Amino acid sequence: MIGFCATFRREFASLWLSPLAWILLFALVVLQGAVFVSIVANFAATTEPSLNVGPLQAFYGQSVLVPLTYMFLCPVLTMRSFAEERRSGTIENLLSAPIGIPAIVLGKFAAALATFAILWLPSVAYPLILRQVVDIDWHTVATSYLGICGLGAGFLAIGIFCSVVARGQFIALVLTTSVFLLFLFLGTAQYAVDDGRLRLLCDQVAIQSQLAEMSQGIISLRRVAFDATLVALPLFLSTRVVGSWRWS
Amino acid sequence: MIEAQGLTKHYGSLVAVRDLTFQVSKGSVSGLLGSNGAGKTTALRMLAGVLGPTRGTVRLCGYDLIASPMQARRCLGYLPETSPLYLEMTTRQYLSYRAEIKGVAHSCRQAIVSEAARETGCEDILDISIGRLSRGHRQRVGLADTLQTNPPIILLDEPSAGLDPNQVRNLRELVGRLKEDHAILISTHVLAEVESLCTDVLVMHKGRLIANDSIEVLRARQGGAELRVTFRDPDQRVPAILASLNWQFCHEPPAADTKADTASSNGVAEARIRLTRSCSDTGQAIEQLIAALVTAGVGVRSVDRVATTLEALFSTLAQPDEDTTL
Repeated sequence: MIGFCATFRREFASLWLSPLAWILLFALVVLQGAVFVSIVANFAATTEPSLNVGPLQAFYGQSVLVPLTYMFLCPVLTMRSFAEERRSGTIENLLSAPIGIPAIVLGKFAAALATFAILWLPSVAYPLILRQVVDIDWHTVATSYLGICGLGAGFLAIGIFCSVVARGQFIALVLTTSVFLLFLFLGTAQYAVDDGRLRLLCDQVAIQSQLAEMSQGIISLRRVAFDATLVALPLFLSTRVVGSWRWS
Repeated sequence: MIEAQGLTKHYGSLVAVRDLTFQVSKGSVSGLLGSNGAGKTTALRMLAGVLGPTRGTVRLCGYDLIASPMQARRCLGYLPETSPLYLEMTTRQYLSYRAEIKGVAHSCRQAIVSEAARETGCEDILDISIGRLSRGHRQRVGLADTLQTNPPIILLDEPSAGLDPNQVRNLRELVGRLKEDHAILISTHVLAEVESLCTDVLVMHKGRLIANDSIEVLRARQGGAELRVTFRDPDQRVPAILASLNWQFCHEPPAADTKADTASSNGVAEARIRLTRSCSDTGQAIEQLIAALVTAGVGVRSVDRVATTLEALFSTLAQPDEDTTL
């Protein structure tokens, strides 16, 4: 796809040339470290440990760590993607270039996803540290990261779409955060509703449920389909909306 | 090379561009003139593929911009107004990135970037962050981007904005060199730039194309009958004679105590007058005028023909007229 690689490289460099990505990396490492230490200390103090939930399952699937990173990372990594191009007028250069809009949208999305993955990279140290004292199920570690990146990709795609429709990057940030909070609310609401179908629906979209499942090594088709939809739909809509700018 | 046919753009009830039809061929430089809000930038954006027309078609090098957008855009170098750039990149990184999205192979990219930088005087700023460059330098970086793949069609929106006089001269020389084998369309407010650079003029007014010809043809169409006359007129008969023969002062006749248009000394005045109707034989009109003045007892001391400036042409063409709403 002509222009994808160029767009990816430019966006990726743009994110890492600014202090933003480095500040996020520092904040995330501190947060992950604090959460990990607290979880390990809690497990060390427990006299009757659970058979299903170990420190890594708690770290990846049941702590506030992952939802918090979604709430802060995804909006910040994507808010500039299109809103800034429109504000500065550089979108004119892109729209007059011989590249397709899907290449632009996917290039920006891939750069945000790669940055998201790199920000999570230091957390690989924690299973390696735990390996010194307990056996590690690497399968569950892998599925945990798959779940984190799958949902992260979905919220990044939503962030890209919000940046497309918003007039400014701050509005894009607020919109993306609002959508994330809606998902979080729906996930929590499953415990408050009695209606079977509604409860099932809330469970389907609950990010907490998915993270908990995948941190235990469970990969279900419906979760994968949900993540794929969460990625594909906003990116498709973004492509259509950017294309419509020519006709507005 | 550039063919616009019936190009129209509506923004709600506002018609920004209405039925724009023109061609720019290889080897010509066309100046797109118009006052603010005339629709110049909207027209250029439609030609560049940034905006889609409500009606009409654009063909670049024979490729329809809607049916074959990639092929059409490959023929195009477009410098938008204010030359938007990525400020965090260096000039070299930016030009290299732009070359890549225009499909230049990695092996040729460095050579193309260097050549474009040399052509536009950006060699010294290749490794400087664009955010630290002056407005003139940024304009040159935008120009380097526009020219770097040597596209056959070049669209420049206010290219000399922010440039110092030396850079403007360099730009004019560059456009002069490029016009041999390119089709160039320049949107500008600077009429002197059009006179020095362009072979043809397109004048837009309230979204319409009201003139499309070479500067010489436009001057001829205006009649070219502008005269500087020195005369002695003790009986104040000149205004009446001028009106009867369809001539008028270029500006309002000056009051007795001003020297804005007519310089008087010992009853001798100098004034610029122009013919108000189109005329196939302006020489005959001048003969009639002189004869009438002499017959009326006006002492005609000198008559010089003044070449019509583009400014005069533009102000005559762009008269206020109808509404632009639907």
